[in-house]
Formats: sequence, structure tokens, C-alpha cells
Amino acid sequence: MMVGYGSEGYAVPFLPRPNSVAATIDGSVGLLIRIFGEGSRRLAQLDAGDSVLLLGPLGVGFDLGQAPRKVLCVAGGVGLAPFILLPRWAREALPDAEVHVLYGERDAAAVFDAGKLRELTGIDAEIWTEDGSLGRKGRITDGLELGDIDLVLACGPTPMLKAVRELALDSGTACQLAVEEHMACGMGTCIGCIVETVDPTTGEQRYARACIEGPVFRAEQLPW
Amino acid sequence: MVDLSLQVFGATFQNPILLASGTCGYGQEYSGVIDVDALGGIVTKAVTPKRRRGNLPTRITETPAGMINSIGLANVGLEGFKREKLPWIQENLRSAQVLVNVAGWTVEDFVGVVEGLNEEVGFLGYEINVSCPNVKGGTLFGTDEKALAVLVKALRESTSRPLIIKLTPNVPDIGVFAEICEANGADGLSTINTFPGMVIDVDTRRAVIGNETGGVSGPAILPMGVYATRVAATRVDLPVIGIGGVRNAKDALQYLLAGASLIQIGTAMFVDPFTAPEVVAGISEFCEKHGVGEISELIGALEA
Repeated sequence: MMVGYGSEGYAVPFLPRPNSVAATIDGSVGLLIRIFGEGSRRLAQLDAGDSVLLLGPLGVGFDLGQAPRKVLCVAGGVGLAPFILLPRWAREALPDAEVHVLYGERDAAAVFDAGKLRELTGIDAEIWTEDGSLGRKGRITDGLELGDIDLVLACGPTPMLKAVRELALDSGTACQLAVEEHMACGMGTCIGCIVETVDPTTGEQRYARACIEGPVFRAEQLPW
Repeated sequence: MVDLSLQVFGATFQNPILLASGTCGYGQEYSGVIDVDALGGIVTKAVTPKRRRGNLPTRITETPAGMINSIGLANVGLEGFKREKLPWIQENLRSAQVLVNVAGWTVEDFVGVVEGLNEEVGFLGYEINVSCPNVKGGTLFGTDEKALAVLVKALRESTSRPLIIKLTPNVPDIGVFAEICEANGADGLSTINTFPGMVIDVDTRRAVIGNETGGVSGPAILPMGVYATRVAATRVDLPVIGIGGVRNAKDALQYLLAGASLIQIGTAMFVDPFTAPEVVAGISEFCEKHGVGEISELIGALEA
């Protein structure tokens, strides 16, 4: 979904930004915000009753259509956002499925409140920090084993996505990755957010628009 | 609501607001959000003779009060446009006027696309893009007086449909280029395309845009667009389409008073896709409030 401030008042940021829906609570949508620049600072400072412009839901999201029994979600940093919503959604759609979330951050200070996360997802995420200040030490992909996993989903920094993709392709595990790109419209008109993709059957490469043809792509579609 | 319809290029525009080329795809992309057919019209993404992948990423980033883009004329090409895009336009845009934006590198490129579309129905005319800053040679015709004269003349001979030349602001005097278009048979002008620009990431010391440079658009360029429109409108008798930085009715009214007959909205649609219908409503309110009976009363009505 695109989140912005409208074009009045020369708003900073000017362009809307792509965000994952992190929660749906009583008819509202929840976003996970990490304060990084002017836009996220402004979002974090909003009060009840303030208005923002939301456009969505847009694009192609994670697909549980193959009825997997064991789903692994790999979240890097603020890439946690879609995996706050997904476990509950998966439980409704696939009551027999088992969903696990691995969540990695640089250090303990960056980790989203574990209690809140449990409350929202209904499960305990396995937390990793690079410096070992909370949870398991190292990069989230260091100890990643896909053994009996039917479907692995990932959202986070590109190096992490690439590592997950490699492991999934090696083990033949179905894998979907949410990429992040600069976007302007979110609706496929500006062709700004392109990602190189490959058609797994023909081998034909082409640019796909992350906003409406993604942001979730299957591992085989990304020629990384 | 005041009747905002007007006659331009021998056709009826139900209001003066069009969506700018490169910001509305081929119309269909916005159809789930706004009633595109209730607008004055749209200008399609550029059509080149062959399908183009466009430039490497990163293609867009934000700039103060605007954005910079370097898409590189990514488009489906002439045959792709006819096969994949025109049918939707024919089916769905019955009241809104459609201009097909045409780009190329040689006179033959431009003429080839125009001649390839002449027999088709569902659109009014052509907007000729001689002002793209994002491909090598993209502004060649727009910045060379002789080359522009040759191109416009050749295009005039190739079609009887309205021919609108989209000019670059990146010339010492846009009036000279407006006069060349008029002298060689153009029916109208679009002023302006984006300004060439650049953004550098100081941490990596690299240009943010993959192609290094791009075209700057958005509210930042509004006064330059209004000025270029004023210059063009005073120098030629052709209808001028004002473009650059419009995000509300006041901005659009500036263009009308400067001499534009029609106005295009682009970047603001990325910020808020409801901008165009809101601008139409805002112009209507202005007319009602100020007792303007017909939109044509405002065109070029700048007081000295």
C-alpha cells in the first residue's frame, strides 16, 4: 500500500512510499514504521485524527495457494512488517499449516517488542541479532535449514533475500521474496520500480514493475 | 458544475485537464481508481517504433518539491500499442480525448509511428516528443532549429490529424522553437517537458539515478512551466498545452491565464491519483465564484 501526505503544502516527503500492511485490527490497517528519514519520522509523530493518504492494497502479495503444511517466514529488519499479519491470516486460510517466523536485526535495540509481536502474531518468533545482544547471534541466514519446509517467504535487505533464494533453490523449496524498490505511483504507470525478472520456462528476461507485478516474486523469477 | 468544455484542435474537450505522457500509462492503469473518461483527456506513454526495455534502475527518486526520473522511454512499441493498448482505449475512452505521444531518434522513426497509426481509430492526434532528456539524442530535435523544422514538416505531410509538439525548456528561447513548429504546420504545442537534473548520494559518491541524470518534474518546476507557456502563447497563434508542476486548480488556472488552452497533470498524480478530478472540480468552482461563463474567457486573460 502507498502511504503519503497528498500534494498540498509541498509535503516532505513529496512522493508516497510503499509499505506492507502489518496488521488489520477492527477495520484499521497497521503499519510497521522504522524511523529512518523525514517521512517515517512524520508518520511516527501522527496523532489520532491526523490524516494520511493511503492507496491500496496494491500489487501481488505472498501466496499460500499451494496449501503448504510448513511455512517459514524470514524477516530482516523492518521487513518484519508482512509477517506480523501473515501468521493469523495463514491460520484462517490453512488451519492445519504450521507457521514459523525468523526475525533478524542488527542489535537488541532495533528489535520490535517481542511481547507485542507475540500478541499480534499469536506465535513466538525466533529472534536473531548480528551482535548477539538478543536471541541467537549472527545473521538470520547463517543457520537456515529448509529441511521439511514446504514454503519459505522472505522480506528484508536484498543480500538476505539473495541468501534465502540460494538456499531455497538448492533444496528445491518453494520460495517467495518481497523486493523493495523506489516507487512513485504504486499503480504501474511510472515504470520507475522495475526489477529484472526471468520467465522460468522460456528463460526470457524482462523488467517487471515491482509495484503491481510484485513486490513478491517467486525465487525462480529473479535472475540474481 | 460550470460547463468547462471547449473546442481545441477541432474537437470537444469536456474540460481542459489531461493526464501527461509517461504518468498515466495508457489510461487503463488509473481506471480502477478514477473515472479517466470524465477527464479532458490523456496523453499516452511514448510510442516508439520498436518495444523498449528502458533504462537501468534506479529510475526515480524524490527531489525537493518534486522528483527526478529516467525511465528511458520504456514502452510496448508501435505494434504492441496497436495490439495490447489501443483496444482498451477504444473501448473505454469515449468522452475523454486521447493524444498518442510519439518518440524516436530519426525523422523516419517519428513518421513511421504516425503512419503506422493513421488508419486506427480511438484517438484524436499526436503529441510529438522532441524533448526527452533521458535517452541519447532524446532532445536532438527539440534543441536544433533546423532539425525541428524538417521533422515537423515531414510529420505534417504524413498526417492530417492534430499534431502537437512537446517542447523542452532547455533552450535559450522557447519562443523560437514554438515559431518553427507553427511555420511548419504544427497544430499545437505542449510546454514543457522535464528539466535535466542530477542527484548524488554523498555516502556512496554515486549518482542516485542509474543513468546518472534524469528529468526533474513536480511543483518545483511550476513557475518555469507557466513562464514557458506564456512565452509560447504570445509568440504563436497555436493552442498551447501547459505542463509542469500542477497539483491544484490554482496552478492550472495560472496556466490558463498564461495562455494555455489545455493543461496536463503528471507528477501530482503519483502523489494523489485523485488530483486530476479534483482540479477539474476546483476550476469549476473558480468559474462559478468569479462569474466565468466559459473556460475560454480565461485563456490568456493575464492582466498587464
